[in-house]
Amino acid sequence: MTSAPIRRLLAVAAALLLVAAACGDDDDTGSAADGDAPAGATELSGLLRLDAGSCDDAGAATGSTFRMVQSGGTIADGPFVPNGDSPCADQTYTPLAAGSDGGLLLGQHQPTPDPAFDDAGNAIAGQVTEPTTWFAVGFATATNEVDPQTGVEVAAPVLTVDENGTVTGDLRAFAASWNGQHFNQGAPKPDGSSDGNTSAPTGTYDVDTGALVIEWTSQISGGAFDGFTGVWRLEGTLETS
Amino acid sequence: MTDQATGTGDRARPWHRAAIVLGLGLIAAPAIFQMFSRAPQGGEMIDEFRPYMTVSELSQFDGYMDGIEAAVDELETAPADDAPASVQTLVDQWPTIDDDMGGMLDVMSANLDNFAAVDALPPFPLFPWFFVAPGVLLIAFGAYGLLRRRPNPALAVIVLGWGLILAPVAFQMFERAPKGGDMLEELGPYMTADEVGAIQGYFVTLGAAEGALRNQVLPAADSPRPATESFVETWPQMANDMAPMVGVMADNLDNFAAVDALPPFPLFPWFFVAPGVLAIVFGVLALRRAAEKESA
Repeated sequence: MTSAPIRRLLAVAAALLLVAAACGDDDDTGSAADGDAPAGATELSGLLRLDAGSCDDAGAATGSTFRMVQSGGTIADGPFVPNGDSPCADQTYTPLAAGSDGGLLLGQHQPTPDPAFDDAGNAIAGQVTEPTTWFAVGFATATNEVDPQTGVEVAAPVLTVDENGTVTGDLRAFAASWNGQHFNQGAPKPDGSSDGNTSAPTGTYDVDTGALVIEWTSQISGGAFDGFTGVWRLEGTLETS
Repeated sequence: MTDQATGTGDRARPWHRAAIVLGLGLIAAPAIFQMFSRAPQGGEMIDEFRPYMTVSELSQFDGYMDGIEAAVDELETAPADDAPASVQTLVDQWPTIDDDMGGMLDVMSANLDNFAAVDALPPFPLFPWFFVAPGVLLIAFGAYGLLRRRPNPALAVIVLGWGLILAPVAFQMFERAPKGGDMLEELGPYMTADEVGAIQGYFVTLGAAEGALRNQVLPAADSPRPATESFVETWPQMANDMAPMVGVMADNLDNFAAVDALPPFPLFPWFFVAPGVLAIVFGVLALRRAAEKESA
């Protein structure tokens, strides 16, 4: 027969379990944008059709671009990794062009193909952005249900806009692949953290023209570029679904 | 309950109690040294470095270094007109890169035997259980001896003691464990965040220079640059091999630190021998006391 103290202990334990269950996140994909958009904000849907990046006369790039800050650097001051394959005079900018889907799909994953690389290690995912050469090897992007670097299940990209046209979102599924390796380039990171130089997507959306610009930074955790930070800018037009 | 009833004698009990204490010590040791977390980290590190710790792989990297050096020599002998800054950065940094990365490759090559010795040890995650299992047995034997006289567990304690002594001999730990210690000591200077950061920086220097050489210097060259062309041709494969190795280094900094925080490797065989000897002494003394009791 169970003694009274043990019964009380069991009752307390059961109550604690119930409280813990009630407080827990019931969505394994753990998106900061789970469920509804923040109050006063509207969730965007459709395709962010990308404008290809291009280099201006000053050497920098406009439109959709990628840069990488070296380990220990800052977003403001770098140092940035120069990509000898960039067509820009300032080779720390790598212009990005729209992939086969036309750009970034919101609310849907655009996964890395299997295999993700050719025999030379060139990444071949090409739905979001067209593979481009970085350090002599093909560099590609994708959004996967399971982040290929961390193995964490992640929600599809979500962007929301408030009444002022300010965009925020959750791009934790965004990943880059290069030279046989995968690097999560989401913000926040797949586990929801935003350590180091990682910062959530911010941008602007013009409801009249559909012009949409988002920027975010994502510090790489692990692998050859551990501590480096990707600086992303996607610019284009939202085609609502 | 009397001694007559349990069949035990007071004079035999201290050695059974000592066996229990020794067993508790063996169980506590891996917890004290955090072996349950650190040993698997060591195993992970061994697994991840294994592909690189071969003569052929390290020779490949040495070949890459030779190829880069030849290109740098060529650039110094016949400087490229209007060479991008990244090319000059490579030329300027090459002595440091060669010294640092070349030094690391030399140390890795010199430790191939040591790595193989450590790799031949039983799987690291099992290590804490090599203490826990005999510890549990010693406690069981000791407890049995406290409660029952027949059969006397002292003989089992002696056998277990011999097992503890022979285990490091069977696993060649007297030879292999010190080699592990040597390897940790020699690779230690390279397995730091600063050093990995420096190597990442070298990789950026090489990659940036290669792009400039391929896209700007070579197309504009008015005379052959065979070493530079060879470097450019080899670079994709070089990057393909080097980047993952840098990644393995970066990913294993915590694992290396965990293994380095374990007690010195050369002591490991003695962690088995010492309790083994004690177990034998306790068992023999328990047998003697029991015999004395019988004859009294």
